[in-house]
Amino acid sequence: MEQIHNIGSELDWIVLVIYMVAMLLFGSYFAKYNKDTNDFFFGGRRFTWWLIAMSIVATGISSHSFVKYSAMGFKYGFSSSMSYMNDWFFVPFFLFGWLPIIIYSRIKSIPEYFERRFSPSARFFVTILQLTYLVGYVGIGFLTMGKAIMPLMPEHFTIFGFEIHVTLMGLIWVTAVITGIYITFGGQTAVIFTDLVQGLMLLFAGLMVFVVGVYYVGGWDSFWHLLPASWKLPFAGFNSPAEFNSVGTFWEDGIAGSVGFLFMNMGLIMRFMATKNVHEGRKAATINILFMLPISAIVVGGGGWVAKAISVKFPSLLPPDVNPDSVFVVVSNIITGPGVFGFVIAAIAAALMSTVSTLLNATAAIWVNDVDRPIRIWLKKINREAPVDEKRAMVVARTSTVAFTVLGVLAVYAFNSYPTVYQAHAFFHATLTPPLMIAIFFGAFWKKFTPAGLITTVIGGIAFMLLGNRYPLELIGPLAHGTPYDPVHPFTYMAALYNLIVCTGVAVLVTLSQNKLKHFAAKIKKNPNHTAIMYSMVVFSVVVVLIDILDAIFIFKIGSLGILFWATIFASAFVALITTFYVKYNAEAQTTGLTVWSIHKAKEWFKGRKLNEREGEIIKINWKLNESDDNDVINFSKKDMHKMSAEKGDLVYISDARKWLGGLKSCHSTYGEPHNEDGIVYLRKLHLGKGLFVEGKILEAEKEM
Amino acid sequence: MPSFFNSWLPFIYLYVGGGLFFLAGLILIRKTKAIDMRLKRDRFWWKAMIFGFFYFMAIHAFLIIAALYL
Repeated sequence: MEQIHNIGSELDWIVLVIYMVAMLLFGSYFAKYNKDTNDFFFGGRRFTWWLIAMSIVATGISSHSFVKYSAMGFKYGFSSSMSYMNDWFFVPFFLFGWLPIIIYSRIKSIPEYFERRFSPSARFFVTILQLTYLVGYVGIGFLTMGKAIMPLMPEHFTIFGFEIHVTLMGLIWVTAVITGIYITFGGQTAVIFTDLVQGLMLLFAGLMVFVVGVYYVGGWDSFWHLLPASWKLPFAGFNSPAEFNSVGTFWEDGIAGSVGFLFMNMGLIMRFMATKNVHEGRKAATINILFMLPISAIVVGGGGWVAKAISVKFPSLLPPDVNPDSVFVVVSNIITGPGVFGFVIAAIAAALMSTVSTLLNATAAIWVNDVDRPIRIWLKKINREAPVDEKRAMVVARTSTVAFTVLGVLAVYAFNSYPTVYQAHAFFHATLTPPLMIAIFFGAFWKKFTPAGLITTVIGGIAFMLLGNRYPLELIGPLAHGTPYDPVHPFTYMAALYNLIVCTGVAVLVTLSQNKLKHFAAKIKKNPNHTAIMYSMVVFSVVVVLIDILDAIFIFKIGSLGILFWATIFASAFVALITTFYVKYNAEAQTTGLTVWSIHKAKEWFKGRKLNEREGEIIKINWKLNESDDNDVINFSKKDMHKMSAEKGDLVYISDARKWLGGLKSCHSTYGEPHNEDGIVYLRKLHLGKGLFVEGKILEAEKEM
Repeated sequence: MPSFFNSWLPFIYLYVGGGLFFLAGLILIRKTKAIDMRLKRDRFWWKAMIFGFFYFMAIHAFLIIAALYL
């Protein structure tokens, strides 16, 4: 494939640089809203749905980027939209299961949920999986960006007499440094607000390329009739070709990818945690999936679609062997003028920055909450109940952001062997998502799911997945629905189905065998040699998993499939037994408020008292300062409280009434003793500090619950 | 003209396969009372979720018909 260089003009570079500098300045303005780690990571839990929905668009579009969907659009047509139109199936689980659980349980990270629901060891394993998932996602983002910018660059240039050859990895390192600086100082509020601008920019840029492209080939009729029927279908072929087919995309993207993105992408979860309440989170998710994703499908695939039409009508303009990952940039250069092309590239850069910044912010949150603090507790530097040292936590957050930026770039090396970004991303989803997806799903929706089930799913499930990777024809082949076998990247998509089946199988079998496992564990405990028995099980399991890893990664031939398969079954059984033996688990206490079966209880805990679910009005009021104390309560008049159906002790959300601020100037508090001055609310200094309310500006108040 | 195998079969597979997950989700949130049908707001969300499923189904069906016959 031909790698194009030197496209674009000086004016395009000027536009690109101005845009980048403007975004950096805009983002750094919001650093003043970072009072503590809650603000840095969650934006103070204050924003309205439209701001979060737009932010999710900006975050989502880069990861399912212009580059990879235009490449697939160019090669296969409208079916490149499949990934944006198959996300609705898990909406009930998310809106009324996972979303309220994560918000009402007041967790700060997904691994923290696993400690409360299962055990510290569960948190440990999930932390490793989460960090790997997020770093991999950052790597995909950097790879995408590098491939997008590469066509603009010369093959080499000279600085101070040194000739520098432009390489993909060199370009990615430079991009990483810029993105790292941007997120390290801005925090979540900066990310959300820059996302708003960047989301609008990239929607506009993508739609512009599509509309201008259609006009370029002679209008809609000409565009439509230039393309063959098979190319206009919204689905790829059922099970072929190997690199892009419907059944594979269903399992890899519609199931593993949708759940991965919506349920376990800590970056996205933190967006929902930044909404002012669960209802706003539901609105943001719904609007995003129903309307923004279909529009995004046109935005990211449109470049490839018009490129195909141009290549049919003007074959001399677009080289037939153009690298598909460069097609969006190349076609944008053909159909737009100088300066406008720079804007389009700036939009792609914006898309990358918003996604990567979100993910880096999430990795930092996990590092602070799930690695740094637990290690300090373990080293006895602090006790478990010690409050968060905000100053230190912010330093750790920023340092870890830099470290994960570097790791993200290193992850690019693993994905760079795939012919397209689309396939690299599919491999990533199919491999990393299933164990964590099953862990979250069963953890949140199945009360009987135990720590043994969870840890065996992670260790045993991954061991079986590695076996599938080593023996794809034998293990994945029978489930592949007839998709062709590619010996270099075997069953990139259908591996997701096999991985889901083995992880689900392990989880269900271990959980249903819990009584038997407890019985065995009790028997072993009575044996005077129980320590030796348990250690030998640990050694056996570690050896088997190591052999599976060596076999899969280095393609060693240690043992036959039959021997390894049975050894993995025994190793999984031992892991289940070891976990049951060592991990203390109180099913009643550790499921209440943490599964979908007890959402009501979770709500009560969140509020700290009995619920008041009467639906009230949103009211507008003026504010006055009460300087007599600094308690976290807000006082309304009796009449206003009646309008809001509120009682003393209920939770209240109060914000600047200017809707366009999206909740930036707002805070949460509790209703205090009512007074008799209608239309007036008494705030304390701490509310002014959090909400940054402006004197004389009207506020809006609503009962949260 | 693309065959049934490459036009309508992916559509059927998506909405039957995905529909099973979707239906399981609806049943679960009703059974666990995570959605409280006594609340007006939750009744709205129930309808919105079902609407969403058929909305995507209609878009896909329209696009297949357009590709095959327009």
